[in-house]
Order: sequence, then structure tokens, then C-alpha cells
Amino acid sequence: MLKKRASFWLAMFVAAALLSLALACGGGNKETNNDGGATPTGGKYSGGVGSVSGKTAFNGTAPAPRKIDSSADPVCGQKNPTLSTEDVIVTDGKLANVFIYIKDGTTADGKKISDYAWDTPATAAVLDQNGCHYKPHVMGVMTNQKISITNSDPTTHNIHPQPAVNQEWNQSQVANAAPLEKSFNRQEILVPVKCNQHPWMKSYIGVLKHPFFAVSKADGSFEIKGVPAGKYTVAAWHEKGGSKGTEKTMEVTVTANGTATADFSFDGAAMVRNSQGTSLEMLPAMELPMLVKH
Amino acid sequence: MADSPEGSESIVKREPETPARDPIVSRSTSSIMLVCALLMIVSLAWALWDESYGQRPWKGIQQEFVKRYTRYLKSIRSDAGKSEAEVKETAEYQTIDAEAQAALEKITPRRKEIDAAVERIQAQLDAVTDPFQNQRGKITVINYNLETATSDFWRKHYEKQLADKRAERVEVDLPANDGAGKVNTQKLNFPELEKLYNDLRDGKAKLLSEKAELLKEPSELAKKRDDYVKNHVVNVTPKQIDDLIRKNEKFDYSILGHQINVNEFSIVDRCEICHLGVREPVTLKADYLAPAGPGKKPDNLSIAFVSHPNKELLQIHNPDRFGCSSCHNGNGRATTNVVKAHGLNPFWLHPLYRKENTEAGCQQCHSNDRVIQGADVLNLGKDMFYQRGCVGCHRSESFDREADALSGTRQTISQLEEQIAANERQAKQDQDAVANVSDDTEAQRLLAHAESMRVTNSQLAARIDQLNVQTRFLLQDQKKVGPNLKDVRLKLKKEWIPIWLKDPQKFRPGTKMPKFWRFEVDEDGEHDLKAVAAYLWQSGFDGKVPAQQQGSATHGKELFETRGCMGCHSIGEGDNKQGGTFAANLQRVGEKANFDYIVRWIYNPRERWAPYCPKEKRDLTREDYEKHNQPFVFDTELHSKCPNDGAELQVQNMTVMPNFRLAESDARDIATYLFSLSGQTSYADASFMDDPNLKEEGRAEIKQYGCAGCHEIKGFEDEQRIGKELTTEGATPIERLDFALLTQDAEYGRDPLFPDKKEEWYNHRGFFEHKLADPAIYDRGKRKDPKDRLRMPKPYLTDEWRNALTTFLLGSVGAEGANVPYTLFYNPQDQRRQDIQNGWWVIKKYNCMGCHNVQVGQRSVLMDLPFYQTPDGKDLLPPRLTSEGARVDPNWLLRFLHDPSLSDEKNAAAQAAPAAAPSTPNTATTQSKPPSAAGSANPSNSGTNGGGEAGHPFKPQPGANRNGVRLYLQARMPTFNFSPNELQALVRFFMAVSSQQQPYIKENLEPLTAQEQLLARQMFVSGTPCLKCHLTGDPNHDKSAIAPNFLLAGERLKPDWTFRWLLDPSQISPGTAMPTGLFKKADDHWVINLPNPPPGVSEYHRDHARLLVRYMFLMTPDEQRRLLSASPAPVAGAPAAKPQSSDQKVGRNHSHGRGRSVLAQHARSSKFRLASSHGSDYIRP
Repeated sequence: MLKKRASFWLAMFVAAALLSLALACGGGNKETNNDGGATPTGGKYSGGVGSVSGKTAFNGTAPAPRKIDSSADPVCGQKNPTLSTEDVIVTDGKLANVFIYIKDGTTADGKKISDYAWDTPATAAVLDQNGCHYKPHVMGVMTNQKISITNSDPTTHNIHPQPAVNQEWNQSQVANAAPLEKSFNRQEILVPVKCNQHPWMKSYIGVLKHPFFAVSKADGSFEIKGVPAGKYTVAAWHEKGGSKGTEKTMEVTVTANGTATADFSFDGAAMVRNSQGTSLEMLPAMELPMLVKH
Repeated sequence: MADSPEGSESIVKREPETPARDPIVSRSTSSIMLVCALLMIVSLAWALWDESYGQRPWKGIQQEFVKRYTRYLKSIRSDAGKSEAEVKETAEYQTIDAEAQAALEKITPRRKEIDAAVERIQAQLDAVTDPFQNQRGKITVINYNLETATSDFWRKHYEKQLADKRAERVEVDLPANDGAGKVNTQKLNFPELEKLYNDLRDGKAKLLSEKAELLKEPSELAKKRDDYVKNHVVNVTPKQIDDLIRKNEKFDYSILGHQINVNEFSIVDRCEICHLGVREPVTLKADYLAPAGPGKKPDNLSIAFVSHPNKELLQIHNPDRFGCSSCHNGNGRATTNVVKAHGLNPFWLHPLYRKENTEAGCQQCHSNDRVIQGADVLNLGKDMFYQRGCVGCHRSESFDREADALSGTRQTISQLEEQIAANERQAKQDQDAVANVSDDTEAQRLLAHAESMRVTNSQLAARIDQLNVQTRFLLQDQKKVGPNLKDVRLKLKKEWIPIWLKDPQKFRPGTKMPKFWRFEVDEDGEHDLKAVAAYLWQSGFDGKVPAQQQGSATHGKELFETRGCMGCHSIGEGDNKQGGTFAANLQRVGEKANFDYIVRWIYNPRERWAPYCPKEKRDLTREDYEKHNQPFVFDTELHSKCPNDGAELQVQNMTVMPNFRLAESDARDIATYLFSLSGQTSYADASFMDDPNLKEEGRAEIKQYGCAGCHEIKGFEDEQRIGKELTTEGATPIERLDFALLTQDAEYGRDPLFPDKKEEWYNHRGFFEHKLADPAIYDRGKRKDPKDRLRMPKPYLTDEWRNALTTFLLGSVGAEGANVPYTLFYNPQDQRRQDIQNGWWVIKKYNCMGCHNVQVGQRSVLMDLPFYQTPDGKDLLPPRLTSEGARVDPNWLLRFLHDPSLSDEKNAAAQAAPAAAPSTPNTATTQSKPPSAAGSANPSNSGTNGGGEAGHPFKPQPGANRNGVRLYLQARMPTFNFSPNELQALVRFFMAVSSQQQPYIKENLEPLTAQEQLLARQMFVSGTPCLKCHLTGDPNHDKSAIAPNFLLAGERLKPDWTFRWLLDPSQISPGTAMPTGLFKKADDHWVINLPNPPPGVSEYHRDHARLLVRYMFLMTPDEQRRLLSASPAPVAGAPAAKPQSSDQKVGRNHSHGRGRSVLAQHARSSKFRLASSHGSDYIRP
């Protein structure tokens, strides 16, 4: 009897305990939503390809390139007496140094372009320091592609990329030094590069997981070749306009063996207003209400 | 018994004489029995089940864990194997491996020889050992007999025996040296035997040590190879995994095997009988152990099985020493169910901290720490407790360091003074008594006693002197959360005061000043508010601040955004808000304040209107000084004493805002900018504030609300705090937390503030959270007299802040309330840790982290401002201080912190500031500037503005308008007026954080030889010319400099740090403008990294980097000039620097000027812009 009663209470207790256990454990089944996987799942693309080409226009009056005062390092002036700013280079209303790339989209066989694995070029991209400026001023590379940095000047430079999501570094390169071999392993639009000793020296490197990018030439033209047929968002980026530059996008459809056109135009006034210069200047604060003294 | 009806009836009816049916006999009870039996069996079964499983849910849980864990281990095994194999295939591994093999092979021949030789010797040794030891034994016996012999006869006998024994020849079969197995049989006497034995042993030892020496290199290489594998295999090795699987097979299904016992502190924690993955070497995540297999959807069990999220923390706080419940709370002993184990059942004193409040556990032991590495929530909670002004009304022990010290010091002083008086009386009594005593000896004794009393007094006086000095320091360190309200008449617009008091959050959302909701709720709230305003207004200093002219708002904006103001202050409202939350948002300061006062404040916020004497309890006036023929001058250095009674005065405004050493015109420009942000506002008439009757009522209200906790208010200087002490608030028994009429709601999970929350909140966390969210909440439904109502005003807190404060309060339990033995509390005994603990209070008090990185990985406020996002902006960030102690000489640091302009340094002349005097590069057109100011932006202004009615001309700033080290930075290291106490705390902190020896004794550097000097000079100018970026003191050169002057190095830096800096600066300060790769390693030393080094340099075989350090530390101005003329940079008179040509040219040195002209262009086109040029994202036209 005693046992029975005890076990009754025991049972009640156990039931209560189990219930509370169940209650305590309940309600915690949260869905895990994990679709951030960015690793390419597809293999190599093997369908038809076309190309994207177009022009980058600049609306409004372009600021004339300004001469750079390079007196801090006489070598620069001797080698490159015409050294001038490269942030906005406009010829006949066309804007050079725009970085155009395929931002997103699906190929004709319905896969995301980022799902495919693209071969990293075996050849290194070259960034040359020549006449105290970077050549090219804007360039693109694929992730893990070698970048060979050369110094053709009879002076010392230091190369200081300041990426947001790649490893930062800052290395000195004296005259006649061997090229530096570097690479970036994560996609980034775009990595600013500077030389601390010649503060006007700026360059931008776009790092992409695929090879579909181009930089507009002096006449504003560009062409991205070998693009798989599909529908894409093409983006054009220019360094002017705030700390992140200006980016414009456009939808294009690429057909096999066809050429899709993507013409971009940048509003000069807005860009210049948004980023006066590249360094420390302030924006005009406001119109000054004349203050009444009390 | 069975008489009546039944019996008679049977007789009547004559029924057969069958007895009445006896239910016991006739009715079967088997069914009942069966049921009962079944019940019994069931309950027995239940009892048994319950005994083994029901009460032991962990058994099933453990089985489940083993199943899932083993499955997971097996699933990762193949990957782990692969990764090790992959590492072994890399070229680097192959090289190391080859090296190790080669080294091993290289020594193999010799090693074989040694092995063979050792073997031979061993064989000989074996052959010798026995005969030798036998003989030795025998000799020892004879010796003993000799020593104990009792007569000469025996002595002689044994001596002879001994000699015989020693001479006796023993046969030894010695194996031949060639090791061919031949045996030389020799006959040896004992000395020969002994010598042979010892020689053999020595020979063997020598060979073995040679072998060890030989093996050293190969074994080091083998270790390197194994380390390489260990360091490069990302996960655990397959072997480790196999071990783990094997461990699972032998899993100990028990409590004892998994419980933590700490006898010393009587901790018994059984958490790990269910949380089995906590300390597993493999990191376990919930989805790894999902019921359906790795990577599937996790259930509650798999969540319980995860690894501890912070394994490093477990290394510092080893669970075997601390247990689990010490930090997490809960009921460590309970095993029967989750609710009990987590201590969530009613009346358990230490319920498990919720995830978002986990760090409350840290506070239990770390209540004396201001900053705890890794406890971000708790640190934020402590920040808020200080910054939001909780500390103004509530005492929390560790936050009261200065106040406690000050009152302690004052108390000690008054005790000592009493003691002195008593001693003096005693001395006098003794002296008087001398006349009356009969005995000479007694008289002498009395005189001696009187004398010693006086000497003691002089010692006490010396102590009082020291304490007075401390008082001065402590007075200097006293700060208030809010501004000084004695200044209201000077500073504020009268009519604005009631507006602000009514709802500060409405005027300035997010401000520290909480909302005093009772002004709105109380029947006479409106009246009370007026009374408070009237008191403040009428008790304020009367006077007039010297009038100021308008400056340039555009330049003011630039200064505001670059000088560092935004490390503490924010600007803009709503989404446009930018800057720190440490101090006020300044968007609308123009609507409330007097321009002249703000200029004065920006110029030097510590400049007090009149000093306060704590002894007389009043503010001194000019008359007080004139009475004593003293000028009305007061400062922390030389004029800190009261002219009337010599007491230490409060001579500064009690604000933490430092002095930026701005030029007067800059202060005007900033004020002009701030005032330009807001338009004109008119407020309702507030003439009631002059009503003297209201003033007296106001005094009572101010006392009631405790305004003086955060503000200096006349007549309330010694006011005590009005709030409850919160040092042990988290340990208050729940029944003493007054939920009032909301008790039931709290118990049943009805939440008046967050209606969609349905959980019970009758617990400490719920109480704090609700109180912080709405301090009036526990008055709900109550009928109270106004004077009895809750007084706590409503602070502005974001959800994150509220949670952080709740965490802080939950953990504030004191020694008695803690779930941890007091002995485990963090009260470091070593000086280094104490220094760190003390330093953090100062660092946080002045918000050093708004501008600097003090902790590794910490972001400063400035770092996230748009101005510092561009590549050029990044170079202008204030320096990282993570290795400050290793970098600088503590004596220098002390001087620097005392005066960051280093203006009294003897070599200050070498630092001619590029931006000396007014920082305004006024040459550019600034049309927006009123002509009156534009023409006179020079020091002469101080003359015109000085001499206001109250006699406060702007004092000239020490270290006028420049930084001491980094002159090129636009951000200014301000002067904080630290007391010597705080200076010392800071210096010791930085030294301790970098584990520097204290005190620091400067190491003597070897002087340079003439040849070395020549070489160093060459290295300095070739390759990467150091002077290209480093300041020299030549103004022309320095325009483009971005690094400190070498002339400071010897005094400022430490050589070892400098050496490491030269090799790889990015390791010390990521993102620095100083490049790496200046040196390369050649053999065992560093040489300058040049393809064609100058002649002589390559012949110098000592360390080049060390040479440069020495050179740099011994730098003289002459030497620097010589360098400058040798370097490729232009020397002087370069035409480049003319700002007016800047429109056509760019470069670092010109950005300033060009910016200003651009400013002028756009001054009229854009309105109310907040962002700098780089922050286009923030611009809302």
C-alpha cells in the first residue's frame, strides 16, 4: 500500500517533472536559415558565350586635371613633369577609369554566375609605379590572382592597399627592387591603394571571383568578353563620390555570340559635389544665418 | 447476531437450509486482486523505471550524446585525415622534413660508431664490475674491522690483511677492444681494477654526451616538423578523433564521472552530466549533433550538447577550479530536471542567468574592475551606470573611488587634528604638573613625556600636510555627470530652462538628463518645476561673460570634425546622428545657450567662474582675494588654496571635458559653427523665475529630487546621494523587491510594458528591467501622496543599454550574495594587475577610447566616423595605444600626459609647429566669415575681448594650439589636467598592460663610432628616406610630414620597441603609414633591404636595424639638419607651399587650403550638411 501511494506521488511527481521538462524544452525549435553559402557549387561553365560592351559618359563639365605638386620628391618632377590628378579623366564627354563588372545574374542554364567556378588566370596582373603614379589607375583581378607590383621610378615607394575585407599590408619598395607578388583572396569592390610617401598616388583594384570585368578606356569604351549567355546586372564603379565611390547598375541580356550594350552615364556635378577631392576637405557646412547677439 | 428478519423469513418460507451466501466464500475477488496486482506490478515497474530513468533523465541524455557525438566524429574523420595528409604534401613540409632527414642522416655514421663503442665499453664494464665490486666489498669489511679493532694486535692484523687484499690480483676476462669476441684475461690488483672501472665509466659517459650533442640538431628539426603539422592541421588529427571515439565506447554513464567537485570551496556542479560537449576538444555546434545527423535541424538536446562558446575563458577560469554555477548560477547539484538544475524553480536564490545577462556572472567577482576583457555587455553596463548618471544618485562601491577617498582623507585629517589638540593638552598638563611633584625623577619623566607629545605632534602635522596634498589631488579628480548649474545665468537662456526641465528628451533625444516625469504627473508638478527653475536661476553666479565676436562657421565645422570633439560629442539628429555618446549631442546648443559662454567653455572648459571653498562652504569672490591683497587667480598648480583659511579649493569646473588648447579664434569658430546649426527660437515668458518665494520652494524640490547628485548647485555642495545603494542590489531577496500591485502580473507573465512578451517576470531581472524602462511603474494603481511617490526619473536607455545595466545590477551581489566564495573574487595581489585594474577607471572616466585603441581589437569612435574612412583619413587617426607601455619611457609619458603639447620641453624649439598660433589657414577666401572677425583672426583679439566684468580675460593657453608629438594630426591630444594621482595611474596602467618593468631604468646605448655614424646616415637617406615622412622642425619640410620627429626618440621611446617597430610596424599598429620591408634577414641579423646598398653598408656586419635605433636615439638637431640637406626632399623655400595656388595643385600639404576654397564655393548652396566630404551617404539635402 505504502509503496503504491508513494509510487502514485512519485508518478505524479514524475509526470509533473516530465511536463515541466517538456515545457522547459518546448518552443525552442527554431528554423535555421542558412543560405549564406558562398562557395561555388557548380562546375565549369561550358555553354555559349557573348560579350558586353558600351561606353561610359560623363555629364556636365568635367573638372580639368590639376597639376600635382610633387616638390616633396624632386625625382617625381624630373621623371614626370606633367604629373596631374587622375580622379576624373574625361575626353569628349567620355569617362575613363570606370570599373565595369558583372555584379550578379543568372546564366542561360539557370544557374547563378557565382555558382560556377572560374579559372584564375595564371598570368599576374601588373601594377607599375612609373613617374610617381600608378599604372593602371584602376584595374581588376580575380581572387587569388597574382598581382605583380613593379617600381620603375628611381625613388622609393611604399604600396599600401587599404581593403575592407582583405588583409591590409604596407610594404616599402625601393628603386630597382624586385617586383612584389601579392594577391587578394576575397571579392572586394574596390581596394584603394596608396603610397604614403607620395600621397597623391592612388590606385584602385577590383577583386572578383569571376573574370567578367573591364576598365573603361580614354574614349569611355569597354568590352567584357566571354560572358556566358544569360541575364545580368552589370555595374559601373567610379572612384568619385563619397568614401565608397559611385556605382551605377544596369540589367543586360547576353546571348550566345551576341554583344549586349551597356552604356553608363555619370552625373558629374553630383559626383564632384559628393567628394571634393580625395582627402581632408570638409563639405561646406551650410548657409550661415547671421547670428543675432544676445 | 443473525436473529431477526432474515432468520424468521427463512423459517416461514422453509427454504432449504443453505447458509446465506457468504461473499467471502462465494464471490470471487480474483478480478480485484488481478487489478490490484497489475497496479502493483505497474507501479513497481514505474518505480523501478523511475528510479533508474525518471529520476535520472541524464542517463538517456548521456546515451543520446554518445550516439550523436560518435556519429559526428566518424563523419569528420575522413576530412581530418585528409587535411593532415595535405599538410604533409606541401612543399614547405617537404623541405622541413627533408632537412630533418638529412640532419639525421648526416650524423648517422658517427652515431653508429658511438653506439658500437658504447657497446664495447659496456661489455668491458660488465666484465669489470663484478670483480671490482667484490673486491671493494671485501676491503670495506676489512676497513670496518680495522676501525673497530680494540687492540693493536688486531689493528696490525687487519692492516696487513688490507694491504694484502689491495695487492691481491683478481682475474678479469676483459673482452678485446676490436669487439671480435676475443677475451683478454688479465690479473689486476685493486687500484688497477678501480682505475679501469672508472676509466670505462668516464669513457662511456663521454660518448653518450657526444651522442646527445649530435642528436640535438636532428631532434630539433624533427620537433619543428611535428610542430609544423600541428600548426597547420586546422582541425584535430585523425588520431585524436580515434581516441575520442574510443573514449565514447568506454563512456562513463554516471553522475560522478562528470561532476565537478571543488572541495576547497564546497562547489559541486553536475552541469556536465548533461552539457557533455562543454569541454570537448572538438568544437561542437548544435547542428553537428542534430538528431537526424550532422548538419540537420538541431533539437533542444543538441543545443545542450554544444561546446562552451569561449574556450579561452575556460582556460582562465578552469571549471575544475571554479565550477560552472560560480559564474552562471543555477543549482549545480540538481539532476532530476531542467527547471531544477537551472534553478528556475521558485525561491531558488541563484537562478541561472539568461543568455543575454550571462556576464552578470563576471560582475560577482570582478566588481572592482572597470573593464573586463571579453565581457562587453557588462562593460557597457558599467559605462552606462557612469555615463547615464545613475552614479549621481546611487552609490555602487567601486564607482566611488574618488569620493570615498576624499571623505576618508578629510575624516583622517580631522581625526589627526583632534589628536594633535589632545596631545597638546596632555603636554601642557604634564608641564604644569612638574611644579607639584616631589620627586625629581618623576618631574623628569613628566617633562620627557611632554616633549615626546610635541614631537609626536610634529609627526602628525607632517601626515596632515601629505593628506592636504591628497585632498587637492582628489578635489581635482572630482567630477560631476552634469554641468555646473551655478553657471546658468552666464550660460543659458532663461526662458529655455523650464522647457528643458519639463522634458529634456524632447529637446535633445538621447540626452543623459533623465525625464522627471513627476513634473507632468503630480497635481502640483507644474508648480514644482517652476520652483526648481527659480532656485537655479536665482542661486546662479551673477555676471557677464566677455562678449565674443562671430567666427567662421565653415572653419568651425572643420575643426569640430577633425580636432576630436566627436570622440565624445555627437552632432545631427535621428539617423543623421554622428559621433560619440559619451557627451552631449550639440545640434541644438544654439537654441539654449549664450554664445559668449560657449566660446569661453570651448576655449577652456575647466576655467571656473569662481572657486569654491569646501571649508567655508561658499564660492569665493574677488573681494575675498582683494582682502588679502591677492590677485583673483586660481588654478590647480599654484593657486589652489583659499586666501582666507588656506583650505584646498575647488578651482576647476567639475567636468571631464579637457582643454583643447585652441586658439581663441578657433574657439569662436567652433562656437559659431555650433550656433549655426539651429535657428532662432523664442520661448514663453519665464519671469516667475525671479520670484524669491518660489526660490525657497525650489530648494526643497531640488533636495527631494537629488539634482545635486549630477550637478553642482549652490547650497547643495555637500548633499548626499538620494538613491538606494546598489552595490549589492542583485542579492536583494526577491520579496524585498517591491513589485507593488504588479506582483501578480509579474508572476503570471502579464507585462504592462512589453505586452507581446508572455513570460513571467517576477524575478530580479524582470524587476530591474521594468524599473529601468519605466521608473514609475511600481506606483501603478497606487494612491499615494505626492511626497511619497517614486522619485527616480526616467533615463534614456536603448534596449541594449537597458540590458547591459540589468546585467550589471544582476551581478552586483557583494560577498554575501555571490554564488562564489569570497576567496575567488578578483582582487589581484600583484602590482601589475592592480595597476591595470586601477588604470581602467581613469581611462574610462575620460573616455580615452573615444579616440584611441587601448584594447586590442577595440574600435574607437573616431575610427567609424566618415572623415576617417578614406585612405588619407585613415592616416590621421590618433595613435593606437595597445603597446604604449612598451613604446615609451614612463617618465616621458608622465610629462606628456601632464602637458600633451610638450610646450615646456627644452627641445620644443625644434618642433616649430606648422600650425602654430591660430590654426586657421585664413589666406583662402572665406566670404562667409563676418568681416570683423576675418580681419582680426590673430592673438590681438584676446586683448579686445579680455577684461570682462567678472574679470575673466582668456588666459593664454599653455602649449598654444598644437600637439606635442604628432604635429601633423588634425586631432588634438587635449590637456586633461590630470592630478598626479591620475597621471600615475595612467602611466602605471600602460606599463602594466605591456608587462613593463617598473620602475624603468633607461638603458645606456652604445655610442656610435665615426664609421657607424657615417653608415647610419647613408642608410637614413637611401632606400626609404626616413625624413621624407618624419617631422624635422623645418616648417617647409614638415608640411608634408606624417610621422614624429626623431629628436624626440631618445627621450620618448624604448630601444627594443623601436627595433621591433622598424622591422614590422604593421604588427604593432595595423594600418600605419610606416611601411614594412625596410630590412631583410641575413643570417642571424637584419640588414637594410636595398638591391644596391651604398658602399660600406654591405660590409657592416652588425645588425642594421639596431644601428639605426642607436642612431635615431642619439639624434641631434645638427645631425638632423645635415640629413635634411642630404635627402632628396627639398630643403627650404620650395614654391609649392603657397595656399593661394592650391586650387591648381593637390598634395597632402595643400588639401587644407584647397578644401577651404571649395568650402567657400559651396557655402551658400548646401544647407545643414553634416557629413564631411567623404560621407556622401550621410548627406541629406
